[in-house]
Amino acid sequence: MALDFTFTEEQEFFRQTIRDTVNRMIMPRVKELDEKEEFPWDLWREFAALGYLGLRHEEKYGGMGTDTITQMIFYEELARGSCGFFMSVTMQILMGTYFIGRFGNEEIKQRILVPAIKGEKIGTICFTEDQSGSDLAGTRTLATKVDGGWRINGRKQWITNGPIADFATVMATVDPKLGLKGLNFFLVERKTKDRDGFVSGQRLHKLGSRCSVTGELVFDNVFIPDENFLGEEIGKGVQYAGEILNEVRVMTGMSALAIAREAMEDARQYANNRIAFGNPISKYQLIREKFAKFWAWYEAARTFLYKCAWMIQNNIPCINECMLAKYHATEMCMYAVEEAMRIYGGNAFCTEYPVQRYWRDAKFLLYGGGTHEVLCDYLGRVYCKG
Amino acid sequence: MDIFVLVKQVPDPEATIRIKTDTELEIENKYFTNFFDEIAIEAALRLKEKFGGKVTVLTVDHRRVDALRRGISMGADEAVQIADPALEGSDPFAIARILTAYLKDKPFDLILAGRQAMDDDSGIVGIALAEALNIPHVHSIIGLEVDPSKKEAKVIREVENGKEHLTCPLPALFTCQKGLNTPRIPLVMNVMKAMKAQIKKVDSASLGMEPNKVGSSSLQVKVLRYLPPPKRPPVKMIKEDYPENVKILVRLLREEAKVL
Amino acid sequence: MAKEIWVLAEHQEGKVKGITFELLSGSIEFSKQTGQKVAAILLGSGLEEATKSLIPFADKIYLLENPLLSPYTSDAYESALLPLLKEHEPSIFLGGATSTGKDLFPRLAMHLETGYAPDCTELSVNEEGRLTIKRPLFGGKVFAEMVFSEARPQMATVRNHTFLIRENPGRSAEVLPIPTRLDPSSLKKRVIHLEKSPGARLDITEADIVVAAGRGIKGPENFKLIEDLAEVLNASVGTTRAVVDEGWRDLKDQIGKSGKNISARLYMAFGISGAIHHILGIGTCKTIVAVDTDPNALIFNYADYGIVGDLFKIVPALTEELKRVLAS
Repeated sequence: MALDFTFTEEQEFFRQTIRDTVNRMIMPRVKELDEKEEFPWDLWREFAALGYLGLRHEEKYGGMGTDTITQMIFYEELARGSCGFFMSVTMQILMGTYFIGRFGNEEIKQRILVPAIKGEKIGTICFTEDQSGSDLAGTRTLATKVDGGWRINGRKQWITNGPIADFATVMATVDPKLGLKGLNFFLVERKTKDRDGFVSGQRLHKLGSRCSVTGELVFDNVFIPDENFLGEEIGKGVQYAGEILNEVRVMTGMSALAIAREAMEDARQYANNRIAFGNPISKYQLIREKFAKFWAWYEAARTFLYKCAWMIQNNIPCINECMLAKYHATEMCMYAVEEAMRIYGGNAFCTEYPVQRYWRDAKFLLYGGGTHEVLCDYLGRVYCKG
Repeated sequence: MDIFVLVKQVPDPEATIRIKTDTELEIENKYFTNFFDEIAIEAALRLKEKFGGKVTVLTVDHRRVDALRRGISMGADEAVQIADPALEGSDPFAIARILTAYLKDKPFDLILAGRQAMDDDSGIVGIALAEALNIPHVHSIIGLEVDPSKKEAKVIREVENGKEHLTCPLPALFTCQKGLNTPRIPLVMNVMKAMKAQIKKVDSASLGMEPNKVGSSSLQVKVLRYLPPPKRPPVKMIKEDYPENVKILVRLLREEAKVL
Repeated sequence: MAKEIWVLAEHQEGKVKGITFELLSGSIEFSKQTGQKVAAILLGSGLEEATKSLIPFADKIYLLENPLLSPYTSDAYESALLPLLKEHEPSIFLGGATSTGKDLFPRLAMHLETGYAPDCTELSVNEEGRLTIKRPLFGGKVFAEMVFSEARPQMATVRNHTFLIRENPGRSAEVLPIPTRLDPSSLKKRVIHLEKSPGARLDITEADIVVAAGRGIKGPENFKLIEDLAEVLNASVGTTRAVVDEGWRDLKDQIGKSGKNISARLYMAFGISGAIHHILGIGTCKTIVAVDTDPNALIFNYADYGIVGDLFKIVPALTEELKRVLAS
């Protein structure tokens, strides 16, 4: 049997468990989390205590060492709850600790990865700058080799968990003239009285995903020792970025699935109950078409995303597939939240109904992991080349 | 303390139930571990944490073992599935007979179960099992304290006009009600363990069950047909302004509904 | 056809409960079809007042008096009832779907290897005395119509308000004291004490009228409004899971799937949007009134009368209006 789309009984059990955990811990607080716009420390600690932050790390550091498909099931179920909390958690599980788990020496792993998995230290990853986001070659943050280590100079924008981060994996160039070939990753910690490090800049206020705190990190001639260079050799950063971005894109796609489904399930219930001209509005063809289109695109998006997860798990190269699947799932999600808003009519415009929150939360997916304009430009170029 | 907990995977309250034919239902494939059974598992685990011993989760179901995995993920030590297609169509009394056959020569201090399963909502299995094992039971408990040295439990059960405090010697069977505890959310480490857990399978023949004592041939109350819930007349919305609407409501309740 | 229809009489502080009169009223109706005698089964001690109140509602009262039968325990009741059940082999044995009925009947049925249907909402008999019942499954999403096979007695527990209490039941029961000896050492459970609920209100499962508020009430202190309304209507006060989970009200007042199913004659819901968990608990109420600010609240789909409005205005006005009307 070469082609098998079934989840195992164990995977279904895992999904159900996460679903139940989300239902109990997060769902009752979703509205509050969105409105408060603060990082929910209590929820974070409760969640960390269950061990979920170590999902993809080795057991000897307190992790669970699960496979990619299990992780993606987790992301799909987690994103049903608060999108902001999802962003903070995935930053910690995946991007914020990925290179430390992969390239950090034993001392760094004990000092940073172990407490990160316990939720005691908060991590983040820094790509974006004010003049470069999806355009990584434009990275200006500079890493200068000095005796025994490096000096980092620059500012990073749009950093999820930034205002509360204890450590960051920072993309910096060793020489802006080298373009993509100059990029590398460095571990930088927050400045304390006995350690050089980054400081927080301005905090951003977002349209959606509001309980994840986002802001600027400032690197002012920060010294870091040699072991904080995260990689095998200088110049491989862009390759590593590609590898982590596969997982990030499929993970982002999973959140698109979750938001779209939540929005449309709410909309379905609404459409079945809302009476207009003597009928529930779900009896009208223009409303039904919205559900049919959503359904078709949703099923396609989900199948494609899990195919990508399977490819990552089996070490099959899949950079293009992951981009395509993320692009498709996110556009599907944009359709779903937009149409869900229309199904709710004027009620969509009131914060009493959650549908506006799905709409606001979903918008971020257009930029995370590369804007769709950049993705499409790249993908179109690859396709035309043949 | 050796404790057995009876568990069952039941349709989620959100699952759609369709009447397929007169005597057949189609249940959407959305299941969860019976709400009250999780309370029973939690109660058992707390006793184990306090006094030591072993918690075994037990189900009679040849299809679904997720309730057992749920038990393991919460911290139960062992899981037993009594599974046999011959049990299909058994009523709660037949299930109790099967459980009796399995448990009658096993040592235990306590059996815990949910107040009722959220499918047929019968609340029979636990109590009938206690009868067959000739041990006392208390139904729908909201408080539990055990004194292992005296082999005695103090329990509180909800009754219509208050809370009844009882003592009961062990071994006994208690069915658990909301309010007894808040079931824990499993650690991911235990979830992983539960995913890989070996589940002991027992078939009914090995328990020496006579075929006519289980399955649909043993039923004493048979389903003639399934029916949708009685249809309610369409709602009458009182659209007049306040306070006129209140006056109209009272008039309708008196004169039309005649309930005042 | 000589076999009897039995009803387990429940009582509290010497008074027979409404459910027992309802079941006897229903049984009298059945007996008109089958010609069977209707018997009330009364266990406990100090039962004079209870016995007297039952006389017009039955042909026979089996009176089982023993101090060990008060208060109820399943041990004592079972020991006392089994010999009687085996001797008389009644055709039907009904009890309330109450904390007593649901506790006792499964044990008896298991012992007697007979059929038992819990939580019935409709019952009928044919001329041979064969019982057909309806009961909700899956919290009321589906109902099952079920029929008993040959084994006797046909046992069922029945929800409150399934039958109306007859005003003129027209029977005059013969009281049959049954010598009941119980061996105290065989009785394992002991009731130490009953911690009575504060207030004199009936349990929400028993009350004729239930008024309830959900999270729309905004805080526990505001339940005063609902209590005042309940006072005027002699109603009991219910609530939703969300409110109980907030810790605003006691668990015993929770209506719905993880709480109680109610079958009130009149149910009034204020500030309750109508989550499926809640709706499933009120499916067998006779008349439902819903008041909520959201015109699209699901509760309106299940209500008989609905008002879109603010409970903080409606409830006090309703209390005043009812005071005025009920006084006249």
